Amino acid sequence: MADGKRWGMVIDQSRCVGCWTCAVACKEINNQPLGFWWNRVLTAPPAPEANAPASDNIDVPAGEFPNLSLAYQPTACQHCQDAPCVKVCPVGATFRRDDGVVLIDYERCIGCRYCIAACPYGVRVFNWGDAKHADEFPVGYAKDYRSDGRLVFTPERPRGVVEKCTMCAELLDAGQEPFCVKQCPAGARVFGDLNDPASEVSKLVNEEGAQRVLDELGTKPDVFYQPAGRRDLTDGSAQSGSGS
Amino acid sequence: MGMTAAAHARHPKAALRRLEAWSALLGLLVALGLGTWIYQLTQGLRVTGMRDVVSWGAYIVTFAFFVGLSAGGLIVASAAEVFGVQSLKPLSKLGVLTALASITCAGLMIIPDLGRPDRILNLVAYPHWQSPLIWDVGIIATYFLFAAVDLTVLHRRDTSPTGLAKTVRVLAYIGLPTAVLLHSITAWIFGLQIARTWWNTALMAPLFVTSAILSGTALVAVAAIAAQRFAHVRVPEQTWRVVSNLLVVSLFVDLFLVACDYITILWGNVPRERAALNLILPGGSWQTVFWLEWIVGGVAPLVLLMTPRLRASRALVALAALLAMVGVYAYRIELVVGGLVRPIIQLPPGIAKGSYQSDKSSFVYTGGYHPTWVEIAIVVGMFALLAAFITVGYRRLKVLSRPTESHPVPGITVESPIPEPRKVLT
Repeated sequence: MADGKRWGMVIDQSRCVGCWTCAVACKEINNQPLGFWWNRVLTAPPAPEANAPASDNIDVPAGEFPNLSLAYQPTACQHCQDAPCVKVCPVGATFRRDDGVVLIDYERCIGCRYCIAACPYGVRVFNWGDAKHADEFPVGYAKDYRSDGRLVFTPERPRGVVEKCTMCAELLDAGQEPFCVKQCPAGARVFGDLNDPASEVSKLVNEEGAQRVLDELGTKPDVFYQPAGRRDLTDGSAQSGSGS
Repeated sequence: MGMTAAAHARHPKAALRRLEAWSALLGLLVALGLGTWIYQLTQGLRVTGMRDVVSWGAYIVTFAFFVGLSAGGLIVASAAEVFGVQSLKPLSKLGVLTALASITCAGLMIIPDLGRPDRILNLVAYPHWQSPLIWDVGIIATYFLFAAVDLTVLHRRDTSPTGLAKTVRVLAYIGLPTAVLLHSITAWIFGLQIARTWWNTALMAPLFVTSAILSGTALVAVAAIAAQRFAHVRVPEQTWRVVSNLLVVSLFVDLFLVACDYITILWGNVPRERAALNLILPGGSWQTVFWLEWIVGGVAPLVLLMTPRLRASRALVALAALLAMVGVYAYRIELVVGGLVRPIIQLPPGIAKGSYQSDKSSFVYTGGYHPTWVEIAIVVGMFALLAAFITVGYRRLKVLSRPTESHPVPGITVESPIPEPRKVLT
């Protein structure tokens, strides 16, 4: 854990093509059981602000034919500074590291699921039964990972505990970027240190006006979005209403 | 009623057989519940109807309901002392007994809900004081100890010659605020959550306190009527009047608070806030709880309790109390499931786990919840355990002390006194 760092991410929704590569990459590196999605790509009507909750329908454009538009909102743990999940956990199993990464101690969690009720972003998943995998062997990182002695990742999921995006803490601590950032084919994800004013994420947040989802709740996520509708992307091109 | 009592007096053996049958039934249901829980332990919570969207179900609903039941008893008992409601005094001990039984069952009800019940002691080893759940663990433990002490003292008072009246009074003054705090904290588990607009209202604590008084008093009433019918004790007429009035007032306030919530949401018409209410109002997919709360558990008991001719019948008062409890249980479902079923952000992913809705053009993801047989068996077992606790406690502690005994309760007139109210089964 590098000193004085605060890891953050900015997702450019005007670059996101909704291909789900980040979601699948996340499943793979984290050996997620069948039916689990730590990271998913919501369909959100293009809006000038990232505030809007995603639409009810997946991959369905907004508007009336032929004036349709489509945008995506990849959503995983927002790593809030004032995280409701951290506040409600009765045993301190969910905690926020000094570098801003919110993690779950697999060995401490009692499975009460209060955090699932408390999270506004709906990013937590629970091991309702024994994990099932498509492969017979663990894929991805495939090892236990401990942070300050606490088990924050294990490929063999214990039954009855909650889990979510770790921002790939095991890669971060080894000086790498989260796997979804590395894999995004559209270059829609930017990762870096929010405490460093010269970093790209800081510039996007401070100068380009990247925004937080559900900002009004005051949870202060360290994941930011650049909304697809923040500028008229169709400007100059004739009748390209189906979005991009 | 009188005939039944006479019949009991004449046939103590029949009464004994009835008690045995009742005990056997409760024992069977508790055993089934326990067995089902062991099955759940081997399978994990996947055998319940809960999933990532509706992640709390029948267990938490029943937990909140039991916490509510535990209130009333202690509030009835304490009100007798604190506000000098003399006619409630005969029900003090029964009230504290139901409180102790209910809070015990509430605490136990949490265990099958945990994904890792083997780690329950983490609550003691690593308490995180910011969490309302930890406050609740603290207040439930306190309340349990308090009810146990109070019951012991009340029992001593009735059985020993030394007067413990002052101790009882002091305990009552502690009991009332403790009960209010218990319900407020349990309400705040839900009410403080910004992620759930349906829960996030300052009305939550007053609502929990009111519905607790309602359902707790109803439980005391049902237990007292059962005792009167089957164990041949007599509760004074005036006590019934106070109890049924308390039911009426708390039911009115309860429905008023819920209505305030509805109206605030309906008039404001914020889509995010309407989402849960739309499911519950008539026409929504969860409308059953609306009818159970407002008609079965609202209008029906009010009619029964406010019509003088109907109120005269103990059986109908018991029915009204039961219906009021059904209404409160429906409200707990409305609260817990309603708060979870429509999250403020779309959940993962429509195609893999969603369900097709004919009025929409695509697969959309909506949360759903139906309790499985596992949840039903465990919850029924817990209700049976509650009934068993009350039955055993009642029989061992001679709970309905008669006002005409060595500790007369002033101000009570027994309108149709039985010469020597006998307890048939001792």
